[in-house]
Amino acid sequence: MNRVLLIGSPNSGKSSLFNRLTGLHQRVANYPGITVDVSAGPLAAMPDVELVDFPGTYSLRPISSEEAVAVEYFQRSLADPQVRHVLCVVDATRLEKSLYFTLQVIRESQRHNKTVTVLANMTDIITRNDLRFDDQGLALQLGAPVCRVSAKTSAGLEAVIDRLRMSLICDDDATGKWADTPDALLRGTAHQLANRYGPKGDLLVRRQTRLDRFFLHTVTGGVAFFAIMLLLFQSIFTWSAPVMDAVETIITTVGMAVVPLIGNPILADFTADALFGGIGAFLVFVPQIFVLTLVIGILEDTGYLARAALICHRPLKLFGLTGKSFIPMLSGVACAIPAIYAARAVDSPRQRLMTYLAIPLMPCSARLPVYALLIATFIPSGTVFFGLLGWQGIAMFAIYFFGMFVALLVTGIVSRLTHKEAAGDLPFVLELPPYRTPSPGPILRNAVNRSRHFVTKAGKVIFMVTVVVWILGYFPNQGASLADSWLGIMGRFIEPLFQPLGLDWRYGVAILSSFLAREVFVGTLGTIFGIEDAADNMLPLVDQIQASGLPLGSGLALLVFFAIALQCVSTVAILSREAGSYKVALKMLGGYLVIAYAMAVLVFNVTELLVQLGSA
Amino acid sequence: MKLPEHCRALWALREGDSGVVEGFGDNISEAYRIRLMEFGFHPGETVSCLLTPGVGAPHVYRVSNTVFSLDEDISAHVYLRLTDSTSGSPS
Repeated sequence: MNRVLLIGSPNSGKSSLFNRLTGLHQRVANYPGITVDVSAGPLAAMPDVELVDFPGTYSLRPISSEEAVAVEYFQRSLADPQVRHVLCVVDATRLEKSLYFTLQVIRESQRHNKTVTVLANMTDIITRNDLRFDDQGLALQLGAPVCRVSAKTSAGLEAVIDRLRMSLICDDDATGKWADTPDALLRGTAHQLANRYGPKGDLLVRRQTRLDRFFLHTVTGGVAFFAIMLLLFQSIFTWSAPVMDAVETIITTVGMAVVPLIGNPILADFTADALFGGIGAFLVFVPQIFVLTLVIGILEDTGYLARAALICHRPLKLFGLTGKSFIPMLSGVACAIPAIYAARAVDSPRQRLMTYLAIPLMPCSARLPVYALLIATFIPSGTVFFGLLGWQGIAMFAIYFFGMFVALLVTGIVSRLTHKEAAGDLPFVLELPPYRTPSPGPILRNAVNRSRHFVTKAGKVIFMVTVVVWILGYFPNQGASLADSWLGIMGRFIEPLFQPLGLDWRYGVAILSSFLAREVFVGTLGTIFGIEDAADNMLPLVDQIQASGLPLGSGLALLVFFAIALQCVSTVAILSREAGSYKVALKMLGGYLVIAYAMAVLVFNVTELLVQLGSA
Repeated sequence: MKLPEHCRALWALREGDSGVVEGFGDNISEAYRIRLMEFGFHPGETVSCLLTPGVGAPHVYRVSNTVFSLDEDISAHVYLRLTDSTSGSPS
């Protein structure tokens, strides 16, 4: 199969072009470094040709290990006889940034006798603002055709396909004048060419600066930052609530309609508890993940998240992190897995490790059902400040804040312990992308893909755990007595482990099952207490837990335990892969477990002491 | 290269100041010096300071038509000759 390579600087619109040319839905955003993997797909107009999309890089002289991997793979691909052509994407509005890299790509391609076409992207902005861009003159100087394209409007893409068709038919001699040109000369040439053929005037930069004066101002920028973060968290809890209610109603209605139709009592119990209870336990949280991904996508696409990284750089640096850690950490509020991938944008290995340390402590959406259950059980539903704030909302904010606080505490301590390695940290240099109106299509698609990923990946694990827990709790006595079931026997065996937290075997079993995925805790507890669809309708479970006499100290201990422990098999697996060592992931798993347990024991004992003093 | 008398570090630029890159300090790694030049911060190029957000946040600079944010760790080692239009210019 013939292959075409697609390469370009970060944030040049490369992945958007890839999506346009292949019809695929690679993730795109207005933030440098979104593409972290090489991906490939057949061209929509030429299905026998594969287009290979490389992560954006500023240069073929890498300064980080991630860049080195991408550059090495690009060099290897050039030597591949199946590779017939290279498409190099430049941002036509900011030509100089891209041109040096383009010249490097042309030089390397010429050394391997591969033809290059330069795709000058974002020409819709050039046209709209009446800016000058001499593509013909530039093409003449580069010795490579320059196609004016717009990934946003698809303009110019037909010409690109025609060019590719021609290139694959005719075996052009691709050797040329740049093959032996040193980097220093390429740099100077790029500068001259950009000045001569690129857009003049600072209209776009002036617009960007006006907005930056507001969003990066010490006062207005700070206020805007907190307002946007507040909006983000509101979106998780408020905007998704009606959809969550709808999902809950649908699952309950279908369950009530289906279960009575099943004649076999064991199968009916299984369907009610394991199927509707288990599946419902996580499906109800899909709207939250969708809304969160949607809002983060909008912020990314507008270009604001790069500004947020700048605002956060100084405070995060105090804890051994960098402003570039902010986006992975924020993504961790939705799910740790994409957050760990996003940490590739952190170029210093030590700071990336610190980011890995912080991510599992971010209050991810999987913790939400556990927090919701425990808060509903132990925190009264009253309000303060004339009904503006509810105690349960304050408790939710507090536990979210606690997770973030522990994350910074851990990275701060580890950073100080490894301060000798800090000399190797790379300085903070971040390109600030222009502000743009978000493109609804890709953002929506990304949110749908993220939600689908959650359902297909986490769902399998949750379903399997629910089935295993149900079987262990149902047999050998057909659900007559949970205490005498296999689950009960196992639970009593491990009970001493959880006694220092004031928890009995039922909670022990629920905690153990939650090590596969945190959200399993609620479903397991529901199964143990014999409540169908516990995660959909928590009130009966809340009543049961309250009736079981679980002390306040145990509830708070559970909250603290869940805020710190790394109970997610998928996160551990991805961490092992991304950190390049399973030891890092296992150390984090063990370390956070020990801290979580110790903190939970402390919280239980302190709370119980205070309760006793209060009642005395 | 030590900071020459007629030069200022990029970090010392105030909002609205512009300067022409003269060179780089010795404390900056070769890889990063080259990367900065790839971004456009090469000797002879004009750099403008667009914003200096408070509380030690990275400053915002414009080079060519691109805007970058650099923290003190790196911008303290980029030396510029201030242009005549800049207030307080020593040149």
